[in-house]
Amino acid sequence: MAAVAALPDDVARVALELPLRANLSALDNIALIPLYQRHFNAAESARQAQLLLEQLGHPDIARLRDPDMTPAQRFVAKLARALILKRPRLVIDRPGAMLYDVPYPAFIRQLASQATMTGTWEIFDFSWNQSLYQA
Amino acid sequence: MNTLHFKVGLFTAVSLLLAGVFLAYLLHARGFFEGTFNLQLAASSADGVAPGVPVVFSGIEIGNVTTLGLNEEGGIIIHAKLLERNAKWLRENSTFTLDKPIVGGAKIRVNSPDLNAPPLPDNAIMLMLTSDISKEIPGLVERVKAILDNIEHLTRKDGEINTTLANVQTVTGRMAGEYGMLEGMLGSQEKARAVTESLDKTRDLIDKLDSMAAKTDQWLYAQDGTAQQVRLMLNDVQASLQKADALMANAVAISANVKAGTQDIAALRAEIDDAVLKASAMINAINRKWPFARDLEEVKLP
Amino acid sequence: MNFLAATIESLGAKVTGWFAVGYAMFAFLARATLLLLDRTTWNRATLDVVVKQVYFTSVQILHVFLGYALVISWLIITIILSTARDFGLTEFASEMTIRVLVLELLPFLTALFIALRSGSAINTEIALMQVNNELDALAHCKVPPMQFEFLPRLLGGVISVVTLAGLAGLLALLTGYLAIYGMNTAGVEPYTQTIAKIFDFQIVAGLIAKCALFGLAVTLIPVTAGLETPKKLFMVPVSVLRGMMRVFFAIVAIEVVSLALKYI
Repeated sequence: MAAVAALPDDVARVALELPLRANLSALDNIALIPLYQRHFNAAESARQAQLLLEQLGHPDIARLRDPDMTPAQRFVAKLARALILKRPRLVIDRPGAMLYDVPYPAFIRQLASQATMTGTWEIFDFSWNQSLYQA
Repeated sequence: MNTLHFKVGLFTAVSLLLAGVFLAYLLHARGFFEGTFNLQLAASSADGVAPGVPVVFSGIEIGNVTTLGLNEEGGIIIHAKLLERNAKWLRENSTFTLDKPIVGGAKIRVNSPDLNAPPLPDNAIMLMLTSDISKEIPGLVERVKAILDNIEHLTRKDGEINTTLANVQTVTGRMAGEYGMLEGMLGSQEKARAVTESLDKTRDLIDKLDSMAAKTDQWLYAQDGTAQQVRLMLNDVQASLQKADALMANAVAISANVKAGTQDIAALRAEIDDAVLKASAMINAINRKWPFARDLEEVKLP
Repeated sequence: MNFLAATIESLGAKVTGWFAVGYAMFAFLARATLLLLDRTTWNRATLDVVVKQVYFTSVQILHVFLGYALVISWLIITIILSTARDFGLTEFASEMTIRVLVLELLPFLTALFIALRSGSAINTEIALMQVNNELDALAHCKVPPMQFEFLPRLLGGVISVVTLAGLAGLLALLTGYLAIYGMNTAGVEPYTQTIAKIFDFQIVAGLIAKCALFGLAVTLIPVTAGLETPKKLFMVPVSVLRGMMRVFFAIVAIEVVSLALKYI
């Protein structure tokens, strides 16, 4: 865990302790990054965020806020937010803590296949869950 | 259409509009869009006048004092500034009075008896009078002091008021007696009866005297004018006693407010004493000079 | 001896605590001001959030607020008028009314209103953001929360208090006129004179500055109080309590200082 928190700045993380902004919709949460980091205008940022959600296969969660989403939807939103950061590494920290309602190795694999991704996704998980990934 | 943005936009627009209108109104009210009219007032003293003191016409402020200064002759020149629209209230025959009320600040009051008189030119110099209530205050204070001294004297320990207050109780106790107020005033039933009787008797006496005069025992009376003198004296007695009567009638009203009336009661008592004393002396004199009138009783002093 | 030392120590701890709070507040204010001067802040997105904040702090409650201002103004004006009549000071009534209501009471009540409604909400929200790690998440994404969370709230607070106090003041002026002169235009001239006499440049500038400070106090203090919440959920009420106390003291302090500057 300490190892995860100490990851360098160029790593985008998806983790339980990095929640979405609760009073913004999933789309706004994702659009924040192009909006404030790259100074795109609001419409363009929203378009980019929507596009990313579509690529991940969940365009329907755009209007939902954090408390209204299922764990899987919340994970997708967080993943999209991490992806839009466009950092060279992406670390998914203990997915089991976030995806307790789906068989998560398969779910992540499915997401990875849909998104047009550059780079690799790294999954940090407990060693006793290793067998889950061997399917 | 985004309703949130519309509402905020409407709110902002209306607020800005109101702010703008108020600003324009304020600038208009403060005379930003018009010229000023200057007035100079000559006065003997600048006491109480300071920059900002209002110039008031019919109770409405039309301008205020800007600066004060001395002229070459050592007189005071007060510069006041008015808005041009208010200059019409100033006429050649206007009078300017410095008012210093006890409550509220000083103000320069303008009186324009004739609004058809020619208007004052700009920078005109006018004379300012002073009506100063506060200057009367020292005299007033002296008088109040004297009154306070008196009160202090009266209310000092074992002073009149204290004794009187102690007496009031006995007096009011007596008022309940047979002769009511009169008894209360005079101290006892007997004394009260005495006054009443003496009043009656004086009346009788005067009647008798009148009838005697009618019978014209002229020689007896004409010698040294005694009868005439007695008659006058008796009239005096009657007047005194009637006065006492009237005072007693008043005393009924006074007794309604005994506390406020204690001083009056003391005065009343003194007058009654005086009247009875006079009556008594009178009757004594008559007794001496008038041998046939033995049946007269001496009036007892209360 | 031990007791004395402990007392002095606790006093010292309190004083350092106050200094830390004050320093954090002013440092935050300085950062916000610097950001305000930065050209990149002024993009459409920030403006949108400011608009949203203005909507939530003032437009949403406008009718309630104006109704409340009307009732308060009407009451105070009636009381002042009848008292002035009883003491034969009617000529001072209109000036007194305007001074008491427009310059002092209404801005103060507006600040209290916004503090109770929006200030407490801001404090709670920021405290929850802090406790829920939402601020950490934003930091991880390298999105500065100042620009889209804090600064718009400060701006919204300042704009709201200034505007609402202004609107309430105008309403009170109108109510005062109607109460004193009734439904006719006979009193326009003297009333205008009174208004002109009271509202000189200094007073207007002071009034706006005071309202702006009120607006800043009712948003800046809750934001900083929320930010210093320890990451424990049960500390959120404590944070709100502390923030609201500070807001109250700040509002009173601003009012006292403004009165002192005006009348001493």
